[in-house]
Amino acid sequence: MIDRFVEPLCLALAACLALAWLGPGPACAHPHVWVTSKSEVVYGPDGSVTGVRHAWTFDDMFSTFALQGIQPKQKGVFTREDLAPLAEVNITSLKEFDYFTHAKADGKKATFTDPVDYWLDYKDNVLILHFTLPLKVPVKAKTLALELYDPTFFVDFSFADKEPVGLSGAPANCKVNVQRPAATAPPAGQQLGEAFFNALTSSSNFGAQFANAAMVMCP
Amino acid sequence: MTPASNARRAAQSIVLVGLFASLVMALAIDTTFAQGPFGVGAAGPPHPPSGIAGWVLAKQAEYYRALGAMIRAAKADGSAAVGLLGLSFAYGIFHAAGPGHGKAVISSYLVANEETWRRGVVLSFAAALIQALIAIIIVTIAAALIGATAKMMGDTVRIIETVSYLLIMALGARLLWVKGNGFAVALRETLAPTVALRAAGAAVAVDASPLSPPHRHDDDGHHHHAYDRGDHDHAGADHVHDGACDHAHGPEPQTLAGRGGWARGLSAIVAVGLRPCSGAILVLVFALAQGLFPLGVAATLVMGLGTAITVAAIATFAVFAKGIAQRVARERAGYGTLLMRGLECAAAAAVLGFGTLLLAGYMASERMFVV
Repeated sequence: MIDRFVEPLCLALAACLALAWLGPGPACAHPHVWVTSKSEVVYGPDGSVTGVRHAWTFDDMFSTFALQGIQPKQKGVFTREDLAPLAEVNITSLKEFDYFTHAKADGKKATFTDPVDYWLDYKDNVLILHFTLPLKVPVKAKTLALELYDPTFFVDFSFADKEPVGLSGAPANCKVNVQRPAATAPPAGQQLGEAFFNALTSSSNFGAQFANAAMVMCP
Repeated sequence: MTPASNARRAAQSIVLVGLFASLVMALAIDTTFAQGPFGVGAAGPPHPPSGIAGWVLAKQAEYYRALGAMIRAAKADGSAAVGLLGLSFAYGIFHAAGPGHGKAVISSYLVANEETWRRGVVLSFAAALIQALIAIIIVTIAAALIGATAKMMGDTVRIIETVSYLLIMALGARLLWVKGNGFAVALRETLAPTVALRAAGAAVAVDASPLSPPHRHDDDGHHHHAYDRGDHDHAGADHVHDGACDHAHGPEPQTLAGRGGWARGLSAIVAVGLRPCSGAILVLVFALAQGLFPLGVAATLVMGLGTAITVAAIATFAVFAKGIAQRVARERAGYGTLLMRGLECAAAAAVLGFGTLLLAGYMASERMFVV
């Protein structure tokens, strides 16, 4: 009697589980850290790209966690000096993940060296990590594709609402196009027009569906 | 029975075995591949998870983010605490679908180990409780009492994590040893039937025929019984086999399950439950910073309850799926026994495999923080 009932139930369950777990993507973990990123592509005097400067704002729960046990000289006020050891740990830990930053210059993978000029700020209950990733070899590139993502989905990256990717010292005719992850709807007022995507597909071939991607074009 | 219904049963058997295999595979994916053996970014940007998995992920993330907001709200208005507990429960249920809550290890352990679904449920709840308690203990000692930094907490968790993975490996190795012996014996007996077995041939022949109505009846009876006792292996064709061979194969299931098996069950729940959930630690530290530590503790326990429900459901399913595979197997006489021993062996190997991969860092049960 019970079997008559259990068998179809098990079949249905097995089908559901198989669908749920054998579906596309290795992801099972959900993000525990949210980062809002504002970045700048840095150019040298000769017009070549020398690196990327990031400012990552963490969510308040992670910020609180990261600040645990850190004693500021003045209660409630965390200065850069107070946070220097934490910044050091952050930067060291991020190395293993290639700083979640991936770049291609004219279609070729660009390699970064260890970060320079890094520090943490604490403002409005959240931490902001500043750092510059120098390119191993500065490149002059017609197109520079920059992507920011965590393949394990532990950290959820999103570009800041306004000017997520800026240019610093770039030649005058360079332009930036920004693509946000398809999975998350752009915030209100940031709805991207069809024209944007048409322009994007004609001049670039972004394969990234989930990455925050920017394309800098210097014709 | 008609040839058509015979064919249907055969097809059904194949489908069931296939589904069972897919379940085992599905559980294997329980543990997310961290950065893969080739390092971050080698495989390019990930595809966003879609379908059911995507929905579950989105829900988890949504609930998790809401937890922080709720704790803040509870600071201003105590009544938000009720909402926080409700949310924690929902988060626990969804979150257990993610890695790091021992679905795979517990389910494989149950499949390898002649366990009943009731024990599966108890083990799942106990493991979830231990997991919640470990998170509470770590944060209480590290953060609340000695003012440790987040990095120190992360390092502590990494040590506990390593111990947990070693325990899972030990558990898997032990199971594999026991089940491997059982499989070897079944293999020998299937490939080279003994005189004694042939003597019992008549009985086996009757039992082995899927067309025999008395067999079906007999089978159902035993199967029903199986769910309650967990020692169902020694029914039908198996029984004849065992009698003839004078209990030649491996240790009896009773030595692994049933009375006295709780000590071994304990080793499984400790191995699985030892590693605290990262989300729980974050919530606890956040609650502590808001001066609401007791609320954080309550939320963590409720979260554990939610987690336990999901893990128990999956574990129960694994046990029932095995029961069905077992019934299918019984209709295949000698090869059926071999199939079941092989399945248990594979499940034991899976436990060892999970432990090894987790330890090697190729699978991240859940990453600790970038601090």
